[in-house]
Amino acid sequence: MIGIIANPSSGKDIRRLVAQGTVFDNMEKVNIVQRILSVIYASGLRDIHMMPDAFHISERASLNLKRSLKIDVYVKLLDIKFSDDQNDSTQAAELLCKMGASCIITLGGDGTNRAVAKACGDVPLITISTGTNNVFPLMLEGTMAGMAAVVAERDRERQYLVINRRKRINIYKNSKFIDIALIDVAITKDMFIGARALYHPEALHELAVTVAKPDCLGMSAIAGSVYPVGENDPHGLYLEMGEGGELETWVPMAPGMMQLIRFKHYRKIKINERIVVKADEGMVALDGEREVPFTKNDNIEIELSPFGPNVVNIHKSLTAASRGGFFIEKDGQGLTKAESYSFYMNNNKEE
Amino acid sequence: MKVSNDDLIKLYGNMWLIRMFEQRAADLFAKGVLPGFIHLGVGQEAFMAGTHYSIKPGDSIGTSHREHGLLLLLGITPGALMAELYGKATGSNKGKGGSMHACLPEKGALGCNGILGSAQTIINGYGFAHKVRKTGNIAVTIFGDGAANRGDVHEGMNLASVMNLPVVFIIVDNGYGISMSSKNSSVVTDLSARAAGYGMPGVTADGNDVLAVIEATSEAFKRAREGGGPSVVEFKTYRHRGHFEGDPTPYRSKEELEMWMKKDPILRLEKILLDRNVINEKQMKDIKAEQLAIVDDAQKFAEVSPYPEGPEGYGDVFYKYEGRD
Repeated sequence: MIGIIANPSSGKDIRRLVAQGTVFDNMEKVNIVQRILSVIYASGLRDIHMMPDAFHISERASLNLKRSLKIDVYVKLLDIKFSDDQNDSTQAAELLCKMGASCIITLGGDGTNRAVAKACGDVPLITISTGTNNVFPLMLEGTMAGMAAVVAERDRERQYLVINRRKRINIYKNSKFIDIALIDVAITKDMFIGARALYHPEALHELAVTVAKPDCLGMSAIAGSVYPVGENDPHGLYLEMGEGGELETWVPMAPGMMQLIRFKHYRKIKINERIVVKADEGMVALDGEREVPFTKNDNIEIELSPFGPNVVNIHKSLTAASRGGFFIEKDGQGLTKAESYSFYMNNNKEE
Repeated sequence: MKVSNDDLIKLYGNMWLIRMFEQRAADLFAKGVLPGFIHLGVGQEAFMAGTHYSIKPGDSIGTSHREHGLLLLLGITPGALMAELYGKATGSNKGKGGSMHACLPEKGALGCNGILGSAQTIINGYGFAHKVRKTGNIAVTIFGDGAANRGDVHEGMNLASVMNLPVVFIIVDNGYGISMSSKNSSVVTDLSARAAGYGMPGVTADGNDVLAVIEATSEAFKRAREGGGPSVVEFKTYRHRGHFEGDPTPYRSKEELEMWMKKDPILRLEKILLDRNVINEKQMKDIKAEQLAIVDDAQKFAEVSPYPEGPEGYGDVFYKYEGRD
């Protein structure tokens, strides 16, 4: 079974005003889902479950496909009570994991994937970026996501599917585990959650990242401007920012916005290392969004964990599938099960 | 974003003033004291208090039909607004504007157009005036999710963008246009997405978090003041009461209302004030009592005020010119 979680809320935050962020409209998300569904339908697979949402992305995509391509993709909606917030994605991921999904396609930003990663267990993710400043999900054509999902569903023995286990950061408040981040945890001097998105670098106090990329936007780019760290490197990076630092780097903080960031200090963090946050009050921002306020009475700790979500490497998986003949049409006669293993399999059809 | 403790306390008081005033208006309407229809903004205090925080003297603000609260913050005194709802001669507009058309242009409160979704073309005139006079001020128009679907709104957004006017379009999506759910009346969930069609930025923010409102409006207003042009700011919120007083709201569920009551904007600010040790519960009670006393006085003032004399009905109808008194 293939799962799809499309977040209707991503792509409209304050960075449209303070930077040149693109508005990612929900109709485009419907279009992407249509492309995913068309590909899965073409493979003969019919067992698709999707998160329900207030915009009815799934229903609109199915209806459009009925009208335009005259196909019925049989998408089933997950039985969750949605509340129009990130908890919907977490609930949907938990249910898909319990139902034995072979993969979950996510449409959203770092925030959406963080919500999914909290509950998806070992189910591999196929990520499509529809947010802003994203590092975790890819800018990926929906067609490719659909093809990778077909490989994930058919290839249960994992001959072709290439999966990477990502890192994550665990956050503890007063020794109690409270949340995770997939890419970055920023400790800021902000006193309020407000419009959530981080865009004032002067408010930054400390930063911890699982991935430091010079070729992305935002927090990860700050770390990436001094010491790149890859997804598969067995460490992260911890930085202290602000006045008193000697090093200044130019960082793409938001779309079209290069800013000077001053560092006091940076160093590698080892897997399982826990760091006590130095700031005495402010805000913990997770993957670029202000989430957890803390005061002088609180103790915040962050820990680099190797147990982030599994993510499908699209390029490697489709290349391996192609080399294995997965896309060659076979009629199945006189072939073993392994030999007849292919993108299109009519006998798998579940009407 | 920085908001001082003093400002947080002021915002808290302002939100209670709006809540108390609106609840009193509801009670008076139920008793049959207030004439006509009234539309109340209980539950929407955060977007009004937060927007007001970002407004500067000289700005021009076009409100909609549910913004008694913003009119109070812009400068109509509670007594004058309550008297206006009563239709009394001491009302902000001599009792002739009523709930929907109360205004105070000298303080930038332009009032509400009789046809919702029409003021979004007119606002461009104010924006153009600020631009050519180089006042450094902006024009703001506030309208709902229902009005957002009207043609004039699109015409207004296009013209504002073509002329690069200092105009900010604030859409208040409170879930319903009269009885029609905004989920069924628009093909986009976030109405701010419309901005893309007119070459301007659009953002959606939590309209029940006064600090999110301040952050979004302050950035949009700053952009407009500095010549950056128009933008769309959408607030997601909910009206606790019906479209009009007396509306039995058969179109929404009890569960939905309960879910939004948990997101009450005043309770959310209270939590921040307590968590940050800005004020204690006793001080909160005092602030609430202070606002209640203001509303009590406003009601007393309205009650004892006279109704307009008969000939007043002909007053303010025509502009005075030579040959006519």
